[in-house]
Amino acid sequence: MDFGFTEEQAQLQSQVRRFVDSECPLARVRELMASSVPVDKGLWEKAAGLGWQALTLPEEHGGLGLAWEDLVVIAEEAGRGLLPLPLVADAAAARLLARLGNPQQCARWLPAIATGDSIATIAMLEDADVYEDRGVSLQASASANGSASLKLNGAKRFVPYAQAADLLLVIAREPEGVSVFAVPADSPGVTIIPLVLVDATQREADVVFNEVSVCDDQRLGRAGAAWAEVARVLDAHAVALSAELVGAADAAVMIATEYAKVRKQFGHTIGRFQGVKHRLAELHVGVESARSLVYYAGWAVDHLEDARMHVSMAKSFASMAADEAGEDCIQIHGAIGYTWECDAQLYYKRGRASRNILGSPEWHSERVLSSQGL
Amino acid sequence: MNFTFSPEEERFRSEVRVFLAEKNPNRGEKIGSDIESSLARLPQLLAWNQALYDKHWVGFNWPQRYGGGGGGLIEQMILKEECAKDHAPILGLSYMGLAWVGPGLIKYGTEEQKQRFIPPILKAEEHWCTGYSEPGAGSDLASLQCKAERDGDHYVINGQKIWTSLASWAQWMILLVRTDLSAPKHLGMSCLLVPMDAEGMEVRPIKVMSGETPFAEIFFNDVRVPIENRLGEEGQGWDVTKTALANERSSIAEVTALQHNLEDLKDLARRCRIGGRAAIEDSSVRSRLAKLDCTIEAMRLSGLRFLTKQLRGEPIGAETSVNKLLRAQVEVEMGRLGCDIEGSAGRLLKGPHGMDVGAKWQKHMLGWPTTVIGGGTPNIQKNVIAERILGLPHDV
Repeated sequence: MDFGFTEEQAQLQSQVRRFVDSECPLARVRELMASSVPVDKGLWEKAAGLGWQALTLPEEHGGLGLAWEDLVVIAEEAGRGLLPLPLVADAAAARLLARLGNPQQCARWLPAIATGDSIATIAMLEDADVYEDRGVSLQASASANGSASLKLNGAKRFVPYAQAADLLLVIAREPEGVSVFAVPADSPGVTIIPLVLVDATQREADVVFNEVSVCDDQRLGRAGAAWAEVARVLDAHAVALSAELVGAADAAVMIATEYAKVRKQFGHTIGRFQGVKHRLAELHVGVESARSLVYYAGWAVDHLEDARMHVSMAKSFASMAADEAGEDCIQIHGAIGYTWECDAQLYYKRGRASRNILGSPEWHSERVLSSQGL
Repeated sequence: MNFTFSPEEERFRSEVRVFLAEKNPNRGEKIGSDIESSLARLPQLLAWNQALYDKHWVGFNWPQRYGGGGGGLIEQMILKEECAKDHAPILGLSYMGLAWVGPGLIKYGTEEQKQRFIPPILKAEEHWCTGYSEPGAGSDLASLQCKAERDGDHYVINGQKIWTSLASWAQWMILLVRTDLSAPKHLGMSCLLVPMDAEGMEVRPIKVMSGETPFAEIFFNDVRVPIENRLGEEGQGWDVTKTALANERSSIAEVTALQHNLEDLKDLARRCRIGGRAAIEDSSVRSRLAKLDCTIEAMRLSGLRFLTKQLRGEPIGAETSVNKLLRAQVEVEMGRLGCDIEGSAGRLLKGPHGMDVGAKWQKHMLGWPTTVIGGGTPNIQKNVIAERILGLPHDV
């Protein structure tokens, strides 16, 4: 029994921390927020040089074959620095490809993802705004002209980093059930509409599919048989996102704590007042509890048959921790926390925006019970 | 990360299970592991303590030369977890002696004191209570005023203590007193071991809101104890007391007890009806149950992270306050939620109308301060976290 980072994980953690500090401090994040380029190529390539995009991919396809709990280590530090890279979405897409794809499909796509030359993302959410089987209505249907190919018609919403992606893994409905298609983002009939987000450190886009032709060899796995694996990969994605939220929440608490140590009012630093220090202590408890749940869920998605309850516990607590820490970071700063220059606003927006990605804390809280048969 | 146990550890777990199947007097019954329910069944419990003692499982990590187990942290966790899962009674009947007195004796006691006091604690032949809080010294314990003055080879104690549990059951008290009025407050205290039958001691029970009398006030009027009953040096009382605090029982067994209570709440929610349908279908009940579920699981996992730090030889300190604060929230919420699920029956103190056996949730609703206020209030835990973990300054 050992519930802590291995030596390798501790090294990975400090590597990411150094990278964030030297390559992309918050001043640089702010520049990239304003950039029209969705993913900074230089930053992405440097991350690839450290093997991060290859981390959890299978070794036979150019990956490092490490575990999802190792990606959790990266994600937490990336979240702490609000690193504007699609590391988590890309890794989730690669996981889905690796699990559902046949050897040819894996060999075609995964090596380029591992080197960072291709970015992949899962196109799941639709107008129904729910991460469940019933939320999938984008159609994959036989062509009217009777050709061998299928046509995709419909729209996906809030696809993470779709505007930067080379490969879309489209969750679609066939008569047999839910299937996944690997669709190059530049396929004819695919329209990508970037969204203007509250949290400008992230990128999302709507993707419209209008008579997009896909062949049988673009389907990952059997027709209509993909949902169970999609759900498991969305769970792994939610855990890594939760790790980003834990990192962001921890950073927000740290920023507020450091401010409370220097800001003086009524002749004392405000950190001496229990109204401030007790709130910071409560936030710390929220972060630590979420962290314990997230680390365990990161292990569970690779080791347990059914990790749903653990994933939902992690996502609901991490969402709440980040949302509360972001808000209170502003409150503890007072008016200065409301300014554009203050970093509190960046964490507030991250917490607010990400709480509902891959399921709100309320949805996950409900699933904590339903996954136990309650 | 690795959540598996070594073959030796698994063998130990089997050994514990075999032991429990044979010796657990609570087997098959849901009897609380709290002190009161335990004391009500004394003969069985003395047999239980003897069986544990024969295995060297009382004082599991205490030195073997005084009768302790000399055991490791993982085995201790396994033992506590298995006992809690099996609804076994507390791991050693001299509860306060094990929690508060032994750790200080082991670190600060003289050889004579260790020989004299440790074995009777392990064998449950002697019971202890604590004399820490005073009417004017609660959260600010170090401002206590009860004093002991030297008179030849004796101390003479005068003053008052309060919130002492099990005072009428104990033969001994571990007492924190002021021995130097001129020293800074943390440095002027000493720890004394006082027999409860000493002349000049008066015990008055305190009735609490549940109607029970779990605590007492103790009055000292020229109580004389020999100087060899001092634990640690004169002026070292604060350090001795902190040792006991640092050795608080592992949270693993507490988490298992909380899990049992949560399962009971879920059962209750299946049986009771709110607004014409099963309470378990009520969205507010569901979200409260889910929050408890997440919190208890977070406590379990954080406990494993702290244990891992200890196993790796890293110091652990203030971070355990995170779980103490959560435990306080969970204890209060469980009583509230149980009574809320029962609806109108939730305000019955006795009676048949749909309430849980023995007014379980009402007792919880009226009894949480024993665990929540004792050993450091939530507000004090927040101070500990803010100051020792976050590095914020002391209060104004």
